[in-house]
Amino acid sequence: MNLRQLIRTGVLLVAFALAVSRPLAAQTSDDFFNPEAMQRIDLWLNDSDWAKLKAAFQENTYYPADMTWNGITVYNVGIRSRGLGSRRSAKPGLRVDFDHYNKGQQFLGLKSFVLDNLSQDRTGIRETSAMRFFTRLGGIPAPRETHARLYIRGQYAGLYGLVESVDKTMMGRVFGSIGDDVQNDGYLFEYNYILGSPWRFTYEGSALTPYKARFDIKTNESHAESTIWGPIEELVRLVNDTSSTLFEQTVGPRLDLGAFVRYIAAQNFISQEDGFNGYDGMNNFYLYRLEKSTSHVFIAWDEDIAFSQADYGITARLGENVLTRKTLELPAYASQYLSVLSEASGSASGWLRQEMQRQFDMINEAMLADPVKDYSNAEYQAARETLLAFPDARITYVRCEVAKMTGATRPSGCQ
Amino acid sequence: MKRPLMIAIVIAFFAIPAAAQNKGKRGFVWDDRPTIVFGEDVNIAVTGRALVEWRWFDPDIGEDLFALRAARIGLKGDLTKHIDWEIEREIGAGNLEEDQSRIEFGDWKDVFVRWRTFDAARVKAGRFKMPFGLEQNTGVSELDFAYRALGSRTIAPGRDTGVMVSGELGRLVYEAGVFDDDGDNAESSEIQFVQEGQDLENVGPSFAVRIAGDLFRAIPGSGRLRSANVGIAYTNSDVPEGLNSLRGESFWGTEDFFERVYVKGRRQRLGAQFDWSPGPTSIKAEWMQSREQRNEQSNRNEDLSDFIANAWYVAGTWFVTGEDKDDNVNPKRPLLKGGPGAIELAVRYERLGFESASKQGTSFTNPRAEFQTPNSDSVFTFGVNWITTRWTRVIVNAIHEDFEDANRTPIPGTTSFWSGLVRLNIVF
Repeated sequence: MNLRQLIRTGVLLVAFALAVSRPLAAQTSDDFFNPEAMQRIDLWLNDSDWAKLKAAFQENTYYPADMTWNGITVYNVGIRSRGLGSRRSAKPGLRVDFDHYNKGQQFLGLKSFVLDNLSQDRTGIRETSAMRFFTRLGGIPAPRETHARLYIRGQYAGLYGLVESVDKTMMGRVFGSIGDDVQNDGYLFEYNYILGSPWRFTYEGSALTPYKARFDIKTNESHAESTIWGPIEELVRLVNDTSSTLFEQTVGPRLDLGAFVRYIAAQNFISQEDGFNGYDGMNNFYLYRLEKSTSHVFIAWDEDIAFSQADYGITARLGENVLTRKTLELPAYASQYLSVLSEASGSASGWLRQEMQRQFDMINEAMLADPVKDYSNAEYQAARETLLAFPDARITYVRCEVAKMTGATRPSGCQ
Repeated sequence: MKRPLMIAIVIAFFAIPAAAQNKGKRGFVWDDRPTIVFGEDVNIAVTGRALVEWRWFDPDIGEDLFALRAARIGLKGDLTKHIDWEIEREIGAGNLEEDQSRIEFGDWKDVFVRWRTFDAARVKAGRFKMPFGLEQNTGVSELDFAYRALGSRTIAPGRDTGVMVSGELGRLVYEAGVFDDDGDNAESSEIQFVQEGQDLENVGPSFAVRIAGDLFRAIPGSGRLRSANVGIAYTNSDVPEGLNSLRGESFWGTEDFFERVYVKGRRQRLGAQFDWSPGPTSIKAEWMQSREQRNEQSNRNEDLSDFIANAWYVAGTWFVTGEDKDDNVNPKRPLLKGGPGAIELAVRYERLGFESASKQGTSFTNPRAEFQTPNSDSVFTFGVNWITTRWTRVIVNAIHEDFEDANRTPIPGTTSFWSGLVRLNIVF
């Protein structure tokens, strides 16, 4: 080999190395949650730990594991069983924490993520379709999601939803920065659904205990209780005690009412019966009090029973929840509610069914091969057909109902 | 507080009249303790102890400010001139909240019988302390401080059920035994998890040996050091898979500064001891180490490097009232005879630390990490012992703890802790 050949070979090798290394170096959390890509997550954990986790799936005990995604391995992450009604032994829902055993360890800027076992959704795509729809609609903070094949010690362990954790990292992504100050130092709460104690935003007295029980603090946990939950007690009290005439000017600074109406209208459009205006009171959301502000915003979470009923009433249960009722008593917000429903119908039209079909195509093989799912392949296929019929029926229904309420000309197809 | 005080008073009642000397008598006699003498080599004596203490903490770590640290009652005696025996059990371990008036029995302590015909080979069987650790094998009435050093409570195994041979061979004293488990101090509280088809396994059996002696006597020119006693000890046991390693508890046991890690395989301890008591002073020092195998314990079922615990202490004492420091300190001028009792100053510095043998890469706190993030607790104890009678002493200790890892302390973020105690020991 002469010098020229040697140089040429060297240049080619360097170019090849750069070509190979660039995709790895460029990996971001957007790639990880890319909704167009079926991911593969490998978890390596000791035989006995996986057996223990499955045996004690109702407990939140952490176990150490190594995780590999797309050629990148993160060592000694902490994993634990998660969920409420979705906990399963055969196919545990998992929370993966990168910094559980080493404060400061991150992966693509993430501190954690969730592997949703899809146990309550025979289609496997309700949650991911709902969050994607919220993002498309805009103005509703929602986690990024896609699907993943999970492998435990190299063995296929089922199809999972890959869900961004609602945490400080996500708050930074959603609320951005003011100058160099990332807006993620506010107070983040996960709503705690208490079985047997449905709550619809009624005032529960001046003591903070009931609010502390319903709103689990996820950031600034060491702050004084009055600082953490005092503003929630105040918000609930003012919502309950303020008359319609003063409602907007009193409650408005403490809750982004426009964003709230957008959120409940979108949830109604996807016929989420276990959401903010749920059948058993409020459920499945986060609440965030913005940094250096009194204003709160709702964040979407856990929409895995969405798209269940195409003729779900557009005013269903709106009168039950105090916050919803009193907000929609104001004409401007009632009008906005119907407007968002119309916008949602327009946004879904031609897109939602196509998106669902795309997701089905993406997960189909992995779902059929999933050996530990809660349902049979026949049940999955039947649920899939039912879901694909939802978008067109729902769009028509909502359009007709909105027209009926606003007195506009009813579109064709209305009953 | 009512019941612990009552127990202490009952034990003191037995202890105080025990001043009379009754050599040669038969029947019920008061010697060191209440005793029934049946014959020259046949007797039964009552033993007891109560340790009551008042404490303070800075910062507050949520511990009680008053505690009955231990109360025990027992019997000991001779069956013949060849065989002696002892039983001892904790009392007052019941639920104070539920019933203030009842005295309940707790754990069994020493329960053994010993054949002592030959000085070169005595045989002891039952439940007793394994032969490892100078301080761990020192009775509570002879301790220089209210609490044993962390290493003596953590690495030294403590009591277990087994059979031991001991004896004197020239200047050397040896003890060697086989035990059912691996000592109370190494007991795991985790419920063992086994997969289908596997059997439950216990820690142990273990083997322990200690050899000690006045080795300096053999060195010409060693002067006063000739009375110093030195020794080495070793234990070996098998530990089943699980969160069964030794763990690091803070001085007061309120928090683990090093939680258990997954182990499987052999646990070995190695110890060395030094004990020198010239006149009214003493210097004691110990070093001990445990190494535990972690076979197949990685996240990928591979072997991990050994898990290591290291501990040492150096302690010094001085009787300012001039008594000789030996095993049975008797005040020259006891309190009950109008004297001040014996007053001793004491200081100890100690350290207990945990780490992995491997130091490669990034360290983690997870129980399966190859490179364990190390942590240690270094403790200074300053003490005054006021020995009022042969059976009673008051101990005042000031304790300063300093942790290596600020995230793993009784109050995360705080590494330095002061505490103190005043304890009344009644032992007979």
